[in-house]
Amino acid sequence: MPRLDRLPPPNRTNLLNLPVQVNDTSPFRPLTKPLANCRLAIVTTVGVHRRGDRPFGPADQSYRVIPSSTPPIDIIQSHTSLGFDRVPIMRDLNVSFPIDRIRELAARGEVELAPNHYSFMGAQRDLLRIESETGPEVGRRLRDDGADVALITPT
Amino acid sequence: MLARVLEANGIATTAISMVREHTEKQKPPRALFVPFPFGHALGRANDPELQHRVLRAALDLLAEPAGPVLRDFPDDTDPGDQPPAPPQASAIAATAGAPADPKIEAMQMLPHHEQWLGANGGRTAFGLSGIPASRCGSVVSFLERFAAGEDADMSERSPDLPLPNFIRYCADDLKALYVEGYMAMKPAADGDEIAQWFWAETAVGQLLRRVRDRLDASDDARWKAAAFGVAR
Repeated sequence: MPRLDRLPPPNRTNLLNLPVQVNDTSPFRPLTKPLANCRLAIVTTVGVHRRGDRPFGPADQSYRVIPSSTPPIDIIQSHTSLGFDRVPIMRDLNVSFPIDRIRELAARGEVELAPNHYSFMGAQRDLLRIESETGPEVGRRLRDDGADVALITPT
Repeated sequence: MLARVLEANGIATTAISMVREHTEKQKPPRALFVPFPFGHALGRANDPELQHRVLRAALDLLAEPAGPVLRDFPDDTDPGDQPPAPPQASAIAATAGAPADPKIEAMQMLPHHEQWLGANGGRTAFGLSGIPASRCGSVVSFLERFAAGEDADMSERSPDLPLPNFIRYCADDLKALYVEGYMAMKPAADGDEIAQWFWAETAVGQLLRRVRDRLDASDDARWKAAAFGVAR
């Protein structure tokens, strides 16, 4: 869920028309140390960014950097598709981008925070540039940041 | 796909999945399928306890020695109390008594929006156009001129931002002004109630339908895409 049969027809058709990669296996990098000693970053496809940053446009395969110290008040979403209800994220950013929640985890010593989070636009059809260019670039930046773990959150 | 790319670059990933059918095919290294509607990856707004349970379940996947791992969120949370998606403008008829002047109406929303800001520590979805809420009247006038077929523009639009994208951001800001203002008045309102009110009863809702119509009548794919995002 959202179970496809519960969606209104236009949304369902939209979803079924999204190209989906089919893979047999997955790259897998086992964690080699306790989570409490790992640095966590959020990588989201919910189209959030800092207020002053350039908003995402349609079919925008670039990404935005959100320093993990950014106050939530300075974060805004430019993924405004009518295909999902924006009311929850207007009420509470954490429902899609759990920046306060992971700070609470870090305060309890359950994980460390990486210096930056990264954000992409959602509802993309053509992903070629993310796959070949901007995705690997974020991977490299995460490594440079000393991040060990990325939590990926969708819309 | 993104999870696979990051994992291949040396980062251990754990992803929240909204569409099990897609995730089964894509096979990200670790994914937690959640039973929530789009826009609710972590469960529910202002429910930190549920959000922490989802977060914990996603992070627990990192303890798995091999993958890909696709696990269902082990929880009995009932997702049925939230609509899968808000109703669209085309499914909502305008009521006969909708106010006629969107500019006056928008200005009247401002105090409610300020109330929202005060109650939420200043957090707001408003701000994509770069034009402050206090100038929402000018934004409405601009969209009215555009909808009437005029060669309308605003000096605030950056030259490298295409006009249809700017119009979309203006429409998004007006929606944020209204939705947040409405929530300040009716804190318990859900997305369905707000969509019904906005598209049926507000003058700005009717203005955005007219903006959509002009964008949609264009042969330019970028205009049509913006139309689809303003109202559909």
